[in-house]
Amino acid sequence: MATIQIKTEVSGSVWKIITAVGETVEPGGTLMILESMKMEIPVIAEDGGTVQKFTVAEAEAVNEGQVVAVLTK
Amino acid sequence: MATMEEVYAEKKAKAQAMGGPEKLARRRAAGVLNARERVDKLVDAGTFIESGLFGSSGSRPEDHDRSPTDGKVAGFGKIDGRECAVVANDFTVMGASSGATNGRKIGHMKRVATSRGLPMVFLGESSGARMPDHMGARGMGALLGNDPTQYARMRETPWASATLGLSYGSSSWYAVLSDFCVLRKGAVLAVSSAQLASLAIKEDVDPEVMGGWQVHSEVTGFADHVAETDEDALAAIRSFLSYMPSHHNESPPVHPVAEGSGAAMANIAKLLPERRTQVYDVRAIIRAFVDAGSFFELKPRFAKVAVTGLARLDGRTVGIVANNPLSRGGAMDTDACEKITSFLVLCDSFNIPIVMLVDNPGFSIGVEAERRRAPGKIMNFMQALQLCTVPKISIILRKSYGQAYLNMGGGRNSDEVAAWPTAEVSFMDPTFAVKIVHGLSPGEAGFDEAFAQMNKDSEAWGIAAIYAVQSVIQPQETRDYLIRMLEVHRQRLTNGVGQHLMRAWPTSF
Repeated sequence: MATIQIKTEVSGSVWKIITAVGETVEPGGTLMILESMKMEIPVIAEDGGTVQKFTVAEAEAVNEGQVVAVLTK
Repeated sequence: MATMEEVYAEKKAKAQAMGGPEKLARRRAAGVLNARERVDKLVDAGTFIESGLFGSSGSRPEDHDRSPTDGKVAGFGKIDGRECAVVANDFTVMGASSGATNGRKIGHMKRVATSRGLPMVFLGESSGARMPDHMGARGMGALLGNDPTQYARMRETPWASATLGLSYGSSSWYAVLSDFCVLRKGAVLAVSSAQLASLAIKEDVDPEVMGGWQVHSEVTGFADHVAETDEDALAAIRSFLSYMPSHHNESPPVHPVAEGSGAAMANIAKLLPERRTQVYDVRAIIRAFVDAGSFFELKPRFAKVAVTGLARLDGRTVGIVANNPLSRGGAMDTDACEKITSFLVLCDSFNIPIVMLVDNPGFSIGVEAERRRAPGKIMNFMQALQLCTVPKISIILRKSYGQAYLNMGGGRNSDEVAAWPTAEVSFMDPTFAVKIVHGLSPGEAGFDEAFAQMNKDSEAWGIAAIYAVQSVIQPQETRDYLIRMLEVHRQRLTNGVGQHLMRAWPTSF
């Protein structure tokens, strides 16, 4: 079973986490939505997987490239 | 004494036996095709005519018996009925290393492909230069550098490559010189082996980390496509070539229009979110208006803010360049500039009209962007766009701001510009403009007056009124509009053939 670290593509703040620990996300599925550049930018699990943990909370500021979730597949 | 027929049959069987039953069995057990199986899966049944079956190591007579075909199977075969030249590396023979004879075979394939107008296919898997043949001053002088056009790519015909195993040296060079490069998972594309790299830098190097599919699909962008298996990789090459002309002096082939094409048009407007702050995947919009099932995306995991891909409209090949707001709001970075530049060069070199879909907040800016040479990359992209002589049509879906307005075909950078009624066009966000010009932030005295002055109408109607976009179209009209306008702009004076001003531009950026 491979561990997948999900990183953000942009700096911004976490607006909504829309999945939960233990949940399985399809490839291309959205884990959370960031607010950045006045846009709602989704954080996507390209290859899908099961959410093990989130490393950020809602309203928290995130930097580009920061790990925000860990999945296994 | 053996008859002439018996001698011939024996020599032929030996040449076709590749590296022998043991090595072939190991490959089969690993689920990997051998060079001849790959050629069979690539070309139409019964069309392969081999060149150089009886070749063998030319430098060292003692290697003659263990070097059937000198490790590279070469010849001509048809793909969907169209003639192609093929070189398939046979790793079971001396690691498909480069030698004197197989160098002549590759040279001949390339010359015939270029002079007769045939696409060229490279199936790469090679350990690199053969040793000891290349060793020493005499080896170098005899084997390297004797063809001044070996790596001069002029794009007379399309080249497609698949990297299907460990690939070093010339096998990697031909992969990145190609117009289409597919990597099979587990394959490695690199300058030299991990073993040599480890010796050179005195640390352990993992081959996959150095040159595996993830590196080349996400970091270098060399891989246009990633395949799970050899069979998938070969099918991807066939698909790619189905969009391409056989050579630069003809238009791409016209295919029958797939059933169901255009059926999604009635609902295409729903793919664009009503709220302007919400993002969406532009690929859903592309798939809705092109011929059903025809969208063939290139470099999908690299610079995802921009989408590039081949598709068909009314059976004819088009190249699609689109901002994808799903990723970073669609703000293009230097990787995106390079991805689009390389795609524009591909389309223009092979007479493929370009359709641009615009929705981005401007280029990605900042310290990192400048360090990555953003001005140079933006201008390479811009220059490529202006040097294109194929028809270009740009459609503004939503945002089009600043210099990116020009790069995405705004103004006279396309032959036709259309806007959806949802388009918004301006130089920059009016709040930023007030700060830059007046030094005022929201809430400060005078901000509101200054904002009102900057906040000029950015709707599509304003730019349509001065004919800087030629059409405002409803989303559901997009397919019909594009088909009709591409028909209008067909290059009748030259039979659909452009000027190819970038034919000698680099094949990777």
